[in-house]
Amino acid sequence: MTLAVGLALTGLAVFAVLQHSPLIAAGSNGVEASTELGVVQGAGSYCQPGERLPRRISALRLSFAATTGPKIVVAVSSHRRVVTSGTIGSGWYGASVTVAVRPLRRAYSDVTVCAHFDSLTGDVDVLGEQASAAAPGAGGLVPGKLRIVYLRSSTKSWWSLAGWVIGHIALGRAPSGTWIVFAIVVLVAAAVALAALALTQELR
Amino acid sequence: MRRQHVRCASAPEANVCTPRAPIVPGPAYAAAHRGLPAAAWICALVAFLNAAAWSLVTPAFQVPDEPSHFAYVQDLAETDTLPTSSQESFSPAEEIALRDLKQREVRYSPQNPVIFNAAEQRQLRHDLALALSRVGSGAGVAASEPPLYYALLTIPYFDGSSGTILDSLLLMRLCSALTAGLTTLFVFLFLREALPAARWTWTVGALGVGFAPLLGLMSGAVNPDGLLCAISAALFYCLARGFRRGLTPRLALLTGLVIAAGLLTKLSFIGLVAGAALGLVLLTLRAGHLSRGVAYRSLALASAAALAPVAVYVLVNELTGRSADGLVSSEVASAAAHGSALREMSYIWQFFLPRLPGMHDYFPGLSTTRRFWIDGFIGLYGWVDTVFPAWVYNIALIPLALLAALLARALITGRHALRHRGAELTVYATMTIGLMTLIGASDYREYPTHIGNYAQPRYLLPVIALYGAALALAARGAGRRWGPVAGTSIVALLIAHDVFSQLLEISRYYG
Repeated sequence: MTLAVGLALTGLAVFAVLQHSPLIAAGSNGVEASTELGVVQGAGSYCQPGERLPRRISALRLSFAATTGPKIVVAVSSHRRVVTSGTIGSGWYGASVTVAVRPLRRAYSDVTVCAHFDSLTGDVDVLGEQASAAAPGAGGLVPGKLRIVYLRSSTKSWWSLAGWVIGHIALGRAPSGTWIVFAIVVLVAAAVALAALALTQELR
Repeated sequence: MRRQHVRCASAPEANVCTPRAPIVPGPAYAAAHRGLPAAAWICALVAFLNAAAWSLVTPAFQVPDEPSHFAYVQDLAETDTLPTSSQESFSPAEEIALRDLKQREVRYSPQNPVIFNAAEQRQLRHDLALALSRVGSGAGVAASEPPLYYALLTIPYFDGSSGTILDSLLLMRLCSALTAGLTTLFVFLFLREALPAARWTWTVGALGVGFAPLLGLMSGAVNPDGLLCAISAALFYCLARGFRRGLTPRLALLTGLVIAAGLLTKLSFIGLVAGAALGLVLLTLRAGHLSRGVAYRSLALASAAALAPVAVYVLVNELTGRSADGLVSSEVASAAAHGSALREMSYIWQFFLPRLPGMHDYFPGLSTTRRFWIDGFIGLYGWVDTVFPAWVYNIALIPLALLAALLARALITGRHALRHRGAELTVYATMTIGLMTLIGASDYREYPTHIGNYAQPRYLLPVIALYGAALALAARGAGRRWGPVAGTSIVALLIAHDVFSQLLEISRYYG
């Protein structure tokens, strides 16, 4: 009974989560993360002017790479007025960091994106494209532009994207095919059914 | 030699077992310990199925270091020699697969999904069909690892070698998934020895391990962590059995062989060896009360069984000029390079636990316990780049706190029993600390340029038997009346954790 309730709650939670929409790219600044522009060490700031903000964005993906990244506060300002901001705590990892910001309805042109780093031991690599002259506002840190991708929630839910996702799972493997998804479902269902059997036998 | 039995058989709720006082077991105890209960096999099967599901969910070569581990197996299978170079100079057949799968663009970059159109799939299929060499000249980070796991995986590699390397990879992953079943089986056996009075909790603990997403991820991939985990669980079982029933020559031999297998699987097993050696010494001293000759013969047997295969491996490496002790020597070098063992100890402490007064702050503004280990345990997949939204980690603290409270209640209730088991608990603690020290020291080597490279909970999988014990005790902590409800709820919670972790992986790679 307890397990049935638990599994039903899990099913409901999965259903609810899949009603949500994934974050998708609303646009980028057109810069490729092809070059390591420099390294940020300790506390500091990195600002990049001349950015265009698409409408309805809710997160920024910045091409900062770290093994254990510091806390970053991102502020986007237009004419010295902060239009949106967000924070990510320390400890992130990877070749980019996604910072959720207060969602915006409208688009903005010519905004400045500033990232303020908290102090943390370790390097943060700045990835982007080299420019012929140092990017103004970069504090002399990086001669180039950082890659920034602007993200917004898709208008479609995960449910409505299910066919698309299943099609992707089928690719890039051998043997390929959508049977993979069926196999995964069967394997997990069998594991859950066996667990229920064991619990019924042992905990009665 | 007379076989020892446990006192707890006659006092099922006491959970106190005193091996020095052999008694005749009751019928319930005897029934529970005759052969393997069906529940043990079911738990093992659950873990295998779960790991097999993970092996299908995870895209090819998108588990930490899988390209290197695959290259090791391929080198061994194709040339009958162990890799000697740690360069990532994989075989042309593997390289072209990595290129077509955009493996290097996808790893560490959660914004990049795996290949997603028919044209890319056609290109991949075309390139995989090319008659390219399967011999490489380096196995990357895997090159310095010992060969046991890789030698075993040559079997599925050859089975799939008539197809493409992705066929081989699939078979190797499924074969590796068996280690999740083995791990869970040994965790069940460990719990049977460690918590003999609470039979129903064995299933809770073992199922909890079987549904652990991290175990599924690592065992469902080409990575020696899966086998290391199974061997470590077997070691915990051997020691628990020794503390429960006494060290017999047969158990000593088995323990020695398990230690040898661990040392021949992954170098990080060294972290458990000091604790295991302490356990064997304590068991020998204990068994010496009955028969000193048999006890010391058992210890000698265990030592010989543990060291002989390792000695042969080291000798072969010396003769072939291959570095067999890279990790060990680099650990020693790291302490020397950074100048102070005290500083290294301070770093290792802070790598896992909050900083103590007077310590230099190596992780300013970062709670390593929370960020590295608790959050990492809740969800850190892919190439350590796949995480849940931040709010999930905060919500997850609620069930974690409940589990911790139930565990604390079980420990407080059973504190009298714990006092009698100080030696056994010291051994488990030594094994855990040894492993943590090794992980922390590895991270310290890269300080200050990189910190947290080794902050991956997968490195703690060798002590997963203790995680199973914690789950079993938490269920027991709910008391006799509510225990089964708590146990079932714990398993339901861990199933949910596993399902959402797989969905996270799917959204990251295929969304």
